[in-house]
Amino acid sequence: MNIDSLKLKKISALWIIVILVLFIASIVLGILMRLNQGKVIEQSPLTFYTNMTTHGLTMIGIWFAAGMVAVNYLLQRYVKTSYGVNLFAFILTVIGVVMLWVTTYAGKFSTGWTFLYPLPFRDLGSESWSTPLFLISLTILGVGWLVWSVSLMAQIFKKYTLAQAFAWQHFKSNPTVETPPFILITTVTLVGVIASLIAAVIVIVLYFAEYFSHGDFVNDALLMKNLIYFFGHTIANEMLYLGLAVIYEIFGEVSDRPKWKMTWYISLAWNCAMVFILTAFFHHLYMDFVQPQALQIVGQLASYLASIPSAAVTVFSIVAAVYGVKVRWSIVNLLFFLGVAGWVIGGLGAVIDATISNNIMLHNTLWVPAHFHTYNAMGNVLFSIGFFYWFSTQYVDKLVLSKLTKYTLTLLIVGGIGFLMAFYVAGANSIPRRYSTYPVELTSGPYLAKVGALFATIYLIAILIFFYNIAKRCFVILSASSR
Amino acid sequence: MFRYFVCFFALTCFSFLGYANDNHSDFREEQNLYGKIYNAPLGIVGNNKVSSVEELYNQKPLIIALVFTRCYGICNPFLLQLSENIKHLQSNSDFNILVISFDPRDNLQDMTNLSKQYGLENNLQWNFAITDSIDAFINSIGFIPKWDSVIKQFDHDALLVGVNEKGLITKNLLGIRIVEDVHKMISSINNVFTPSYRLPTKSNIFSCFNYDPKTQTNRPGLGLLFVALPAIITFLIVTIIVIKSKRTVS
Repeated sequence: MNIDSLKLKKISALWIIVILVLFIASIVLGILMRLNQGKVIEQSPLTFYTNMTTHGLTMIGIWFAAGMVAVNYLLQRYVKTSYGVNLFAFILTVIGVVMLWVTTYAGKFSTGWTFLYPLPFRDLGSESWSTPLFLISLTILGVGWLVWSVSLMAQIFKKYTLAQAFAWQHFKSNPTVETPPFILITTVTLVGVIASLIAAVIVIVLYFAEYFSHGDFVNDALLMKNLIYFFGHTIANEMLYLGLAVIYEIFGEVSDRPKWKMTWYISLAWNCAMVFILTAFFHHLYMDFVQPQALQIVGQLASYLASIPSAAVTVFSIVAAVYGVKVRWSIVNLLFFLGVAGWVIGGLGAVIDATISNNIMLHNTLWVPAHFHTYNAMGNVLFSIGFFYWFSTQYVDKLVLSKLTKYTLTLLIVGGIGFLMAFYVAGANSIPRRYSTYPVELTSGPYLAKVGALFATIYLIAILIFFYNIAKRCFVILSASSR
Repeated sequence: MFRYFVCFFALTCFSFLGYANDNHSDFREEQNLYGKIYNAPLGIVGNNKVSSVEELYNQKPLIIALVFTRCYGICNPFLLQLSENIKHLQSNSDFNILVISFDPRDNLQDMTNLSKQYGLENNLQWNFAITDSIDAFINSIGFIPKWDSVIKQFDHDALLVGVNEKGLITKNLLGIRIVEDVHKMISSINNVFTPSYRLPTKSNIFSCFNYDPKTQTNRPGLGLLFVALPAIITFLIVTIIVIKSKRTVS
């Protein structure tokens, strides 16, 4: 094993352990919130919103990082990636997350993960220093991830031309060079990631400008909301695409099936997805009457067009790969398969909500956390845990589907579905989101919150078992020497 | 040397943060919104029975003005402007007005004199009142007058508070305001949704749209460019990377 390869394995193992620890802590925060809504425990509103902010931002951050870790690791098969930049991103992520948790727990910063304008400037019971520290922590995270993304993209373009990286040669018949689907999806996704991180940079600069201007400069609420969702919506979707890139690369490999080849329709679908995903965020502004109607329509169309090509092609490819043929099922491809199902179901929930006529009913109800938890907790998380499992067993163990693994997977599915159903039913009953406690009129709210907390605890047990299995192998990798 | 520089830099940053922290935008009008107003017992001019704030807002939504009769400052122009604004409203029957004194020295006779000063003593829409629970009442609003013992005056805001029929504060207006603002307050206390969008000012240069009141049209503003900026910068980054990569390969 050469030194470079070992260093990459070690940093990837370190990332995985940190991500899983933060994931478990964030699930606990989520369960506490549902228990509070269910009136099983009593938290002050400030504690609830502090937990909500920490939960949301940590989850977005760690699963974006998880996708980047996986893509960085697999990209090494095609191009040389920089260990230094990977380590730099890791250090900045750790510093950023620590600062973020200090901001929320010591500084009581509690705006929610979207930190919508002008909430960071409002006196919500937080310490006065928490707003600048929060913005600094986001800056640190943003710088680390932006440098990492640009570095990976630069490495891709060192080997592939622009047309090859985007697989445009596949629009013609018999292309001379084949672009691996993994390279196409990674390139497309990195474009979106860079755009969303730049949107975050602009938002942070504008927040700082107002903060330091002593009232001489005031932001425009509509501009800030547009930019925040450009960042938030786009990065939440792009991290799913990072997971899909991993599936395209290793699903065939772990299933004893041939690797997917690039075709014209895969190329077309992902090129379309790149364009549409950058404009789909407008659907977050349907309730903002000042936004021109044309942009609202763009938001609805882009929401449909962004999800259909990539989802249809990916689902078709996955079903074609497993239908009517002998597949070597393991925990890895099962997690991938289930993850794609979760992604599609959550995506459908999202498209329902992104339809303007439905959004009037579903806006800011628990339908919203229902759909994004579906494609995250039962989609993206499964993609990443599948990769973590594959990564950890690749060097230490063999991929086997033991009885314990089957039970764990059952717990994950039962816990996940139950927890999500509590959200969906509540959303369909117009239970509002982001309420720390429900007024007496919303009788089903506390009951469904308790159900959600119960099933989330089952989900947590499954994650703890996965964590034990993955982390112990990662520690072996961390202690390995180059000899 | 480097250490000194780092220490100096850190100190400068932190002092700047501390200074900036105390100077960001003022959102006092939005404090205590949707809080319940304290149900203070009221002695109302021209009404022999003791009434209460709840009895008043149960009849109709309320606009509350906080004044004191010995005021040398803002109270009189504030009440004058309010009475003028109310006269200029096209429809002014779907709310009542409560002018309440926050000075414990004021009695009903003082408030009667005040109402006569504006010719409102027989106007049933206007209620000039005192209460013995003024502290609890102003606390529920977030109104904090400061007593200056030298000039024997209160240092206070000119505050109008809008309360709907459930006793919830739906809007606050600070300062002497024009009739359009009062109209918005009346809509608010009658639970009518009022779309609002901050008009561009000198301090708000990156507005997405600039509303022209003369033509009543929205024109795209500089802020819209910012929405497109992430995509433009990304395009430039990709272009630079591709060009640099080509040079490296060649």
